[in-house]
Amino acid sequence: MNIVKDKKSQHIVDYIKEFARKNSLFVMAYGTGCGAIEIPPTMTSRYDAERFGIRGAATPRQADVLLITGYLAVKTLKRVIRVYEQMQDPKYIIAFGSCTINGGMYFDSYNTINALDRYVPVDVYINGCMPRPEAVIEGFVALQEKIQRGDADNGKKYQENIDWYRENQMKVIKNWNMPDYNW
Amino acid sequence: MSNDLVLENEILNLIKSAFNAEGNVIKSRRVEVFVKKDQVSSVLLFAKEQRGYIHLSHSTCIDWIEEGEFELIYSILSPKDKIMLYVKTRIDRDNPVMENLDGIWHQLNTYEREMREMYGIEFPGLIGDKEFCLEDWDEIPPMRRDFDTVEFARKTFYQRPGREDAKDVRKTLTEQSGEKIPDFATKYSRE
Ligand code: SF4
Repeated sequence: MNIVKDKKSQHIVDYIKEFARKNSLFVMAYGTGCGAIEIPPTMTSRYDAERFGIRGAATPRQADVLLITGYLAVKTLKRVIRVYEQMQDPKYIIAFGSCTINGGMYFDSYNTINALDRYVPVDVYINGCMPRPEAVIEGFVALQEKIQRGDADNGKKYQENIDWYRENQMKVIKNWNMPDYNW
Repeated sequence: MSNDLVLENEILNLIKSAFNAEGNVIKSRRVEVFVKKDQVSSVLLFAKEQRGYIHLSHSTCIDWIEEGEFELIYSILSPKDKIMLYVKTRIDRDNPVMENLDGIWHQLNTYEREMREMYGIEFPGLIGDKEFCLEDWDEIPPMRRDFDTVEFARKTFYQRPGREDAKDVRKTLTEQSGEKIPDFATKYSRE
C-alpha cells in the first residue's frame, strides 16, 4: 500500500511501519502438542520474551502471530484454520517443533497432519523436538527480520491462493461447516 | 512388607473358588484373574463391596487378532491391601459386545466410550456421545490391529520427502542383537 507518491519517502514510511510491526508482536499461542510447555519459560522472567516486544494476546482478532506448538490432530487443524482466518492482516504463523514440519514422530499416525504449510501458510519453522526457549526466541527474531525486509506477507498469499489451501484443507476435514470470511 | 504374598494368594484363591476362575499372582502386589465375560460384573462387585477394591485404576482393551478375540482388562486397586487386581476377560472379535458396567464405577463410562470408538466394542445402554476423540471418522476403528495406520497416513496426509530411508526400529534392533521376531509381529511389521 502506497501512502505517499514519492518513492523515497515511501521507503521511509515502510521502514517505520515495519519497525513498529516487528517490535510489537502479539502472540496467540495455540498450545497443541507437547511444545506448549516451552511457552511459559519463554514468556516469564528467565528468558523474558517481552524484551523483544513479544507478548500474549487474548483473542485471535488482537493477535499478530499465531504460534502453533506441535502436532495437530485433524480435529485441531479445523480450529486452527478458524482461528487463523479470524486474525487481522498482517498475520504471521510460527510453527514449532518437527511435528509441524514433517510429522515428527507422529508421521504415521491416523489422526495428525504431517506438513502444516499445506493447510495454512507458515512464516517461520522452528525445528527441534521440542525446541528450547532460546530456539523459540531465535525463531521470533527470524520473523522480525523477515518483517523488516518486508517479505512477510503470507496473509495476502493465503487470500490469493485460497483455492489451493481450501482443497487441501477439505481433503482432511470431511465435515466442512466453517464460516466464510470476506476479510 | 512381607514377601510371602499372603494377601495376594488370599484374594486370588477367594476369587478362584468363588467364580471357578483361573488366575496368577504376577508378583508382589499384582494379581490377575481370568474370568468369563458374564462373570465380570460379579467379580468386580465382589471385589469392590466385600474386599475393599474400591478404586478403579484403568480399563483397557487388547486386540488378539490371531485368536479372533478382544481382551478387556479392568485394573482395580485396594488402598487397604495395596494390591492391584487385574480382572481380564475375552470377548469375540467379530461380534464385540460387552456388558456396560459404568453402574459400578461411573468412571468406566469414559473408558468404555474410548473402547467403543477405538476398537468398535459395543456396550449396550452406554450413555454418551458416539464421538469421543475423533471427529468425522469413517474408517474401521483405528486401534484395531488390522487398521493399517501407515497406509492410511500415506494416502490421507501429504508426506514431505526425506523420510524414505526410515527404518523399522524393531527390525533394526533385533538384527543387532540377533533376536528372533515372533511370527505375528513380522506379519504386522512396517516393512
Ligand atoms: S515435535 Fe516433539 S515435542 Fe513437539 S509436538 Fe511433536 S513430538 Fe511433541
